[in-house]
Amino acid sequence: MSYPQPRSAALQGVQGRLDFRAVTKRYGPTVALCEFTHSFAPGKVHALMGKNGSGKSTLVKLLAGVTEPTSGTISVNGEDRHFTSPHDAFAAGIVTVHQELSLVPELSVGENIFLGRLPHRRRAGFSVVDWTGLHRRAGELLADMGLALDSRQPVSALSVGQQQVVEIVKAMSFNPSILLLDEPTSALATREVKQLFALIERLRARRVTMIYITHRMSELFEIADTCTVIRDGHYIGSVAMKETTPSAIVGMMFGDAARATRPPRRELDRTKPVLEVRELSRSGHFHDVSFDLYPGEILGIAGLLGAGRTELMRAIFGADRIDGGSVRLDGRIMTGASPRDMRKAGLGYTPENRKEVGLVQSRSTADNLCMASLGPISNRGFISRRREQPHVRRQIADLHIKCGDPELPVSSLSGGNQQKVVIGKWLNRQPSVMFFDEPSRGVDVQAKRQIFDIIWQKAADGLSSIFVSTELEEVLEVADRILVMHHGAVVAEVDPTRTDLTELYGLCMEGAKR
Amino acid sequence: MTLVSQTTEAGGQKTPLKFLKTYPMEIILAALMIFLILVAPGFASTSNVLNVLRTVSMLGIIAFGMTAVIISGEIDLSVGAGAALAGCIVAWFADRFTDALGDWGAVTVGFAVALLLGFMLGYLTGRFRQWFNVPTFITTLALFAALRGVANLITGGFPMSSFPLGFDFLGGGYLFGIPFPVYIFALTFAGMHFLMKYTSFGREVYAVGGNMEAARLSGIDIWKVKALTLGLTGALTAVSGTLIASQIGAGTGTTATGMELDVIAAVIIGGTSLFGGKGRIWGTLIGVLFLGCISNGMTLMNVSEYWQYVVRGGIILGAVLLNQVLERVR
Repeated sequence: MSYPQPRSAALQGVQGRLDFRAVTKRYGPTVALCEFTHSFAPGKVHALMGKNGSGKSTLVKLLAGVTEPTSGTISVNGEDRHFTSPHDAFAAGIVTVHQELSLVPELSVGENIFLGRLPHRRRAGFSVVDWTGLHRRAGELLADMGLALDSRQPVSALSVGQQQVVEIVKAMSFNPSILLLDEPTSALATREVKQLFALIERLRARRVTMIYITHRMSELFEIADTCTVIRDGHYIGSVAMKETTPSAIVGMMFGDAARATRPPRRELDRTKPVLEVRELSRSGHFHDVSFDLYPGEILGIAGLLGAGRTELMRAIFGADRIDGGSVRLDGRIMTGASPRDMRKAGLGYTPENRKEVGLVQSRSTADNLCMASLGPISNRGFISRRREQPHVRRQIADLHIKCGDPELPVSSLSGGNQQKVVIGKWLNRQPSVMFFDEPSRGVDVQAKRQIFDIIWQKAADGLSSIFVSTELEEVLEVADRILVMHHGAVVAEVDPTRTDLTELYGLCMEGAKR
Repeated sequence: MTLVSQTTEAGGQKTPLKFLKTYPMEIILAALMIFLILVAPGFASTSNVLNVLRTVSMLGIIAFGMTAVIISGEIDLSVGAGAALAGCIVAWFADRFTDALGDWGAVTVGFAVALLLGFMLGYLTGRFRQWFNVPTFITTLALFAALRGVANLITGGFPMSSFPLGFDFLGGGYLFGIPFPVYIFALTFAGMHFLMKYTSFGREVYAVGGNMEAARLSGIDIWKVKALTLGLTGALTAVSGTLIASQIGAGTGTTATGMELDVIAAVIIGGTSLFGGKGRIWGTLIGVLFLGCISNGMTLMNVSEYWQYVVRGGIILGAVLLNQVLERVR
């Protein structure tokens, strides 16, 4: 595959102006981006902020030519462009560095930079790869970016941070006038972030326009010139970093999040915990996590993606190995138990990705609802539709699952209803503790309310639960108490009635009270 | 399969078309039978029908177990060799232990050993997958080669035929005018159908094959389920192997060559998905009957053995294509 060579903007001087005019993107009935109008000034670093599902990734996809806008126009350097493929975006001088690294670990740095367009030369009548030329050019590029990397070493020998840098060098080898960086620091350690920022500074000095997507507030003030905020697909505003504050940006991101009605919080009996977790560690994921969960309590766990929330839930449930610490459930030591043991001890877990690991998509709704409780439902191992029916009917009625015929594959249900099936599967066992990992992800507003109602109602009946969500408003609303995780550690415990979004967001970002 | 009855588009309301989509293999089998009755000389005669049923039984007993294995997302390539080995073990016991245990005693012990060995090999194949992450495809491929070797080592490369008088009844005899293996075949069908449909174990097999991680996170012991289905198939293989040895009157390392392919073909023709999670014991019954009819019919019509292979290959591919197409139509 060969890429069209964009006109070398960096060499031609000032270029890289990017204008959006009333750009709208719909996916079926959902509007991902609505009448987005904004001009990104050339030669600056523009941060793009917004919570999950705000439309950031849609914007990136439109610019990268991965999807086409439903209406509106994007113009580059004052010229209207219509991208129908990533090729078109390349030709317009826009290169994207995606969040997931796209390097081939077994190949050398130089080969990765020129992947798909290796230089050739003639040898005895054959066209062969010009390895000397390739590494010379790669070496020049690396030196040009101020990097001391050997272009001949394999990418697998590099740290994640160095790989990220190689990714950017690869992008810059196309000489783009506009560079999209999608959460480039999400996997990097502090020292590596510095190295990356040095590279960004260098590119800024060359007047490359950069669109920088991140969740880390501190980075914005360090590297960005402006910050543009979108919320629910709408353009909210754009501010110069010099003239704003973190809480102003958080305010723009969340708006006046109307606190929906929740049942009043009850006094909890905090004398005897149901679940005791002590110094639990899993290397590379989380470390020294300790907390207690009390009867009837809803404990929220907040944190950014990758903070270790899901990994913690999975490890307590026995789905993943742990490296240290202990877990007690109802006073019994359960360290190192399997999901089967934990299930028997009265713990249930609804995983964050219901499509992949929460349900068996090819089986019916009824089968999925009974899947975790085949033992209790069956009569000495014998089971029939007749025996299952009361259990299936009860969950369908209690959880308001809209499924028509429960014998149809569960894949025919909507996201919200599928989520309820995952919950119903566990409620059929009448657990004493439930872990709800992102129960509201990809679920419509009404189903979300219903799911929260179920959680509150079960808590009133004495069920203890842990509620994990990326949406901080939800954690604030649903939970009785909140633990904040940051880089695999619990960094704070907050009372949802005595905090607000700005404070919680700050804690999730920075990992400590300022 | 249940999807079809819910189809609401124009085509779905016309009963014949719906019927066609719901029972494609049943219809094709019926059509094949009618064709053979009309064209193949002697196909419908009582003796031929009983002959076909006897042959189908040996295959089917294993195929019902294999259906569960494939639904659980695994495969067993060693069943042909396993059947040969089981026959040789029974023959070897009859040869060596008749003095010590009596003739039927030796055969019974031999069968028990073969049964247990078959179960253990299957069970351990499943555990190997768990402990060392060796795909069952590889383990059973190794067993495919090794078991046949062991069978020949036991018998010294010659057929062993010192079975007691009346032993040939098991594989070759008739009870109430029907070949004895057909009863075992029917019993296995009923047992496996019940196991897969009316026990929590059966439900777990479908769950494990449909989504291993979801099953694990639901607290199902996925490795135990897989190991048990493989063990069950190993045991059924020993049963079939013993019946074959009885029918031909000898234990020999060269019987049941290529049987694993016919078994897997029958399962696939019956609509079971090689990706796991989908399939029915009923479908496999149709599959084995289909294979039995077609190979008997071709023999009766004097089709050369080589062409028979080609046709069988075509049928396997055709059946899979048909299932894929139907899946899309639904």
